[in-house]
Amino acid sequence: MKSTRLIYCAFLLAGLFVHAQNKQVLYDFTEIPQSLMVNPGARTDFKWYGGFPALSGVSFQAGSSGISVNDIFADDGLDINDKFRDRIIHGMDARDELSGTYQLELLNVGFRGKNPDNFYSFGIYNEGDAIGYWFQDYAFLGFEGNAGMLNRKYDLGHLKTRGEIVNVFHFGVNRRINGKMTGGIRAKIYSGIVNFHSTRNKGYFVTTEGQNNLLASTLVADMRMRTSGMNAVWDAEKEGDLVGTFLKRGFFGGDLGLGLDLGFSYDLNEQTVFTASLLDLGFIYHANDIRTYALKGEAAVEGIEILPQDLLDPNNDFWQELVDEVEELIPFEIDERSYLTFRPTKLYASLRYNFGEPIQSQADCDCGITPASRNRNRAKYVNGIGGQLYAINRPRGPQMALSAFYQRRFGNFMALKTTYTVDKFSKTNIGLGLNLQAGPVNLYVLADNLLAYRNLAASRYASFQLGINIISWGGKN
Amino acid sequence: MPTACLLLVFFCSCVDKQDFDQYDDLGITPSYEASILYIEAPEVYINAITGVNIITQNFNFDAFATDIFADRVLDGTITYEIENTTSKELEITVEFTDDAGNVLDTEVFTIQPAPTAIDRREIQYGNGGRPIDIITNTSNFRVTAQNNGDNTSTSGIPDAKITLKSSAEFRLRLK
Repeated sequence: MKSTRLIYCAFLLAGLFVHAQNKQVLYDFTEIPQSLMVNPGARTDFKWYGGFPALSGVSFQAGSSGISVNDIFADDGLDINDKFRDRIIHGMDARDELSGTYQLELLNVGFRGKNPDNFYSFGIYNEGDAIGYWFQDYAFLGFEGNAGMLNRKYDLGHLKTRGEIVNVFHFGVNRRINGKMTGGIRAKIYSGIVNFHSTRNKGYFVTTEGQNNLLASTLVADMRMRTSGMNAVWDAEKEGDLVGTFLKRGFFGGDLGLGLDLGFSYDLNEQTVFTASLLDLGFIYHANDIRTYALKGEAAVEGIEILPQDLLDPNNDFWQELVDEVEELIPFEIDERSYLTFRPTKLYASLRYNFGEPIQSQADCDCGITPASRNRNRAKYVNGIGGQLYAINRPRGPQMALSAFYQRRFGNFMALKTTYTVDKFSKTNIGLGLNLQAGPVNLYVLADNLLAYRNLAASRYASFQLGINIISWGGKN
Repeated sequence: MPTACLLLVFFCSCVDKQDFDQYDDLGITPSYEASILYIEAPEVYINAITGVNIITQNFNFDAFATDIFADRVLDGTITYEIENTTSKELEITVEFTDDAGNVLDTEVFTIQPAPTAIDRREIQYGNGGRPIDIITNTSNFRVTAQNNGDNTSTSGIPDAKITLKSSAEFRLRLK
């Protein structure tokens, strides 16, 4: 009972903490080395940096577009059955989603090359990502049943979900192309640990008036759930070797894939910068520990039917015949064929207007605010204001978010960035990021949807990112 | 100062009082319906049988005995619809039996010769009706049809026959 409750609560909490992977506070926050992970073409002025292993980049985001814990479990005197029916079963639809992601940097190092226009970075991070759209018609069928719902088609396509845990090994090059333009590219090797994928289901279940009998139950199904690594993890859990299995599969013992990040920053004029990046343009080939479960076919059943010819054979097991017939018409099959999945590609773009007093870079250079100052590390302005666009490719099509931001620098030791973001999850998402530089030690903390902290249980979205790095700008340090 | 503000946001966040014990009060009790059994016997067949009993047949029916159903069923209704377009009075008996062949419940229908109205009957189980145990212990149906008329006459209605239709609607407790 308790475990059931835990699973249920975890499900709702997962719903609470889920959101697409928008890192709008980190994007173009160039004081933080990890901004290169969301735009490999971000402008950098570091000589080198090194992240604290496992502490340089920790991020977690989660949310739900349809429901919060507070909606169901608030101590408000309302009957939970009414809340469950009104707010979940009838309140959510098939476009509502429950999704989440986390990222943990294991290693992240960057250094400037012999040609000071080039900056290289590499590392490893572990990432988990999952999305599940609300399985509306399955929920109707499970909560209310099909009684009294003659001709109501329950759409099997409402099962749409995908998720994975993957280690990413990356190497990026950031290059100042000219006085106005910086571009970057990051190559990635994905080592897939687990993956599940069920996004193209079709079919329906319907109860209609029968031709012979009172009712006909019809199932038309074309459904498939692909998994990779799930059985290895389940087996490892039973054998108590979960860590070993994760390590093995995460370091090239599982599925393998390739990907690419691209990005650039372009100065439209002295104070206006346009940036854009395209992340995770890649795929993973799943060929290891594969299980694909498929249900395909159609059958209409009107119960056991005894027609005149059957009366001559009274020893027939009509029930078993019916079961066998349905299983033949809609076979449930399992195969181990490999498959390909594409990564959820993300797009960022921003337009920034810098103003106020310029701040000299910490880099060892003759830095100024103009491109003419042979500046690889142009001075930064105290203030920056602008807008950002984010889009991610999801099973039901792209999801987008728009952000407005303001950034304020306090010398070279501190910078703050605040964002206001509008997307399908929230219209009141205010984020705040803090970057602190104490000598070579860099600490950043970014949080999102701050207004939700007034009542966390009512929040449909939460995220945070934090990390510690050591940064050197060369001679001036 | 900004650090303090940020920490303030993190550590001074609030959570309205939640009552997770409400979960115990959540009841998920959907109702499902489907056909059970359809039998058709044409008048030609009935006339060909010389005895009184025209049909005596046991049907294995495991749906009610499966754990997923038997452990969760609360109450429900079985609906019968019998139509006789033959020229004779017929008596249909439906018996519910368990694995050992013990009769748990019996429903008898006496149908007058054509033209007769469709005889529709709904039998409630559980929730004030007959004991729901009848359903959860049923693993077979025995259907007997008896000809109370002659076996020579024929109905003026084309394709004369007797049909037994049935469906079940049951409420289950999933949570």
